[in-house]
Amino acid sequence: MPLIETRALTKRYGEHVLALDGLTFEVEPGIIGLVGANGAGKSTFLKILLGLLDPTSGSALVMGLDVTRQGPEIRQFVGYLPEHDCLPPDVSATEFVSHMGRMSGLPAAAARERTAEVLRHVGLYEERYRPIGGYSTGMKQRVKLAQALVHDPKLLLLDEPTNGLDPAGRDEMLDLVKRTGTEFGIATVVASHLLGEIERVCSFLLAIDNGKLLRAAPIASFTERTGMLGVEVDDGADALAGRLTAAGIEARVEGRSVLVDCPDERPYDVVRDAIDELGLGLVRLEHRRNRLEDLFRDQPEVAQP
Amino acid sequence: MTARESATGAIYDLGYRNYDGPRLGRRAAVTTLYWQSLRAAFGWGRSGKAKIVPWGLSAFAVAPAAVAAAIAALVPLEGASPFNYDNYLFGLTAVLSLFVAAQAPELVSGDQRHRVLSLYFSHALLRVDYALAKLGAMITAVFIVCFAPMVVLFLGAVLAAQDVGAALGDQAENLPQVLFAPLIYAAPISALGLAIAAWTPRRAYATGAIIAVFIVTAAVAGILEQATSGRLADWAQLVNPFVAADGARDLLVGGPNPDAAVGRTGLPLWIFGLETLLIAVAGTAAAMWRYRRVAA
Repeated sequence: MPLIETRALTKRYGEHVLALDGLTFEVEPGIIGLVGANGAGKSTFLKILLGLLDPTSGSALVMGLDVTRQGPEIRQFVGYLPEHDCLPPDVSATEFVSHMGRMSGLPAAAARERTAEVLRHVGLYEERYRPIGGYSTGMKQRVKLAQALVHDPKLLLLDEPTNGLDPAGRDEMLDLVKRTGTEFGIATVVASHLLGEIERVCSFLLAIDNGKLLRAAPIASFTERTGMLGVEVDDGADALAGRLTAAGIEARVEGRSVLVDCPDERPYDVVRDAIDELGLGLVRLEHRRNRLEDLFRDQPEVAQP
Repeated sequence: MTARESATGAIYDLGYRNYDGPRLGRRAAVTTLYWQSLRAAFGWGRSGKAKIVPWGLSAFAVAPAAVAAAIAALVPLEGASPFNYDNYLFGLTAVLSLFVAAQAPELVSGDQRHRVLSLYFSHALLRVDYALAKLGAMITAVFIVCFAPMVVLFLGAVLAAQDVGAALGDQAENLPQVLFAPLIYAAPISALGLAIAAWTPRRAYATGAIIAVFIVTAAVAGILEQATSGRLADWAQLVNPFVAADGARDLLVGGPNPDAAVGRTGLPLWIFGLETLLIAVAGTAAAMWRYRRVAA
């Protein structure tokens, strides 16, 4: 059974705003990156999975349960970390997380026990008895993660979990997310607009842009080698490209680099000789890999012919 | 594994375990929310500051009955007490208004203001469950504030008597009133107060609005009674929800007190009963409607 399955999932706000536009895909359990620019529809998508929002049309199944009709059953097994603040300032982390555990259906004793464990897991110690109002942003993010984990969910939905954190805090949060997903086997969806973060923790990627699905595939397939050779030179990239084209090799200029199509080994010698003859300074010679950024950079060109 | 990863691993690798125990589902979630809210209504488990208003007002509600019971016990005079089951709750109008105005926002405003609602709604309960759990807790809290002095009146009457056994027998007929009159008061004013409080994330606005509604309705009823005459003045009393509740209470005990606001109108009691029911139902419906729509 797929973890999440959507069919033509569409969400409109009013007449003009199309937040999700006919999303159809299936994903298997794992750590799934949900990536897209701000406003691409990530939060809307997560809220629909939780049953916080109803889809305008189409359907979505989480662990085989329908999001519009079986909300409480789904939510019993889902942990959610919202993008925004969601913590009451006047209670302690211990009280709040344990209350949320009971809201997820844990018996009181189990909720207390798991609260202690899960707060340790996210790295909150003595401060957990103080009111949340006095916490730093980093500590609040940890409490948000703890309340999402307290009932041992089967699926964790994290909306921008590194929001507002400093670089060290980001690293720690990403490590936590990765450990939670891999070591404890909790399927996780991480929504982020930062590709670098997604690349670090996720095994599968869902890319959405303007409410449309760009791609759903394992992350490795985004970053495989392209068969292109990148040649960065001091200047004279145009001259080099001209020389290579004349020699019957496909080459195009990209900034200070020339991208050379390398179906076999012949272009290497031609490139070396051409640089030598033109007297250029070679800065870098590398196999190009696809980068996640390309996914979004190329998209507008496709969309607007 | 790099040194950094193993370092954080050493810090965090202490606790997480999977949970295989029971998951009690929606009903347990609603019950949990109800009890947590009821405790919050009296500042239980909160700071000392949060207890001042609910406990202070509860003390105000009980004090007259307690003092009267103490005096009756020390100076046994027949009919000396100014308080009885029929007039006590209506006399608490101001105290109950303040209690609802202070504590209904305590129960619901923070969850909207700090966006805790999005967490509640992403747990194993429905939006209407949240509304009903909060309303149930509010009704229970007001019930307790009304019930406590009624019990004090009852115990005072029984314990001050020469023959406690006989007094218990005499007073037994008042037990339904002791138990149900607080409920008749609690349901409409809690529903009204909570429906108002649910409308804004700002606590001060909610408190102000509830006080305004309770004071304005009482004032309008009072002015109309003075300024008009005949049937209009009588019907005007229905504007005040406390008068409605008191009329419903009269319906329970079987007759109006001719000196009280309800009795002076001369209106049939079923009208008050119906209005009380309508206020309770409308307040509940408004709160449910609000939580079905509010963004989370």
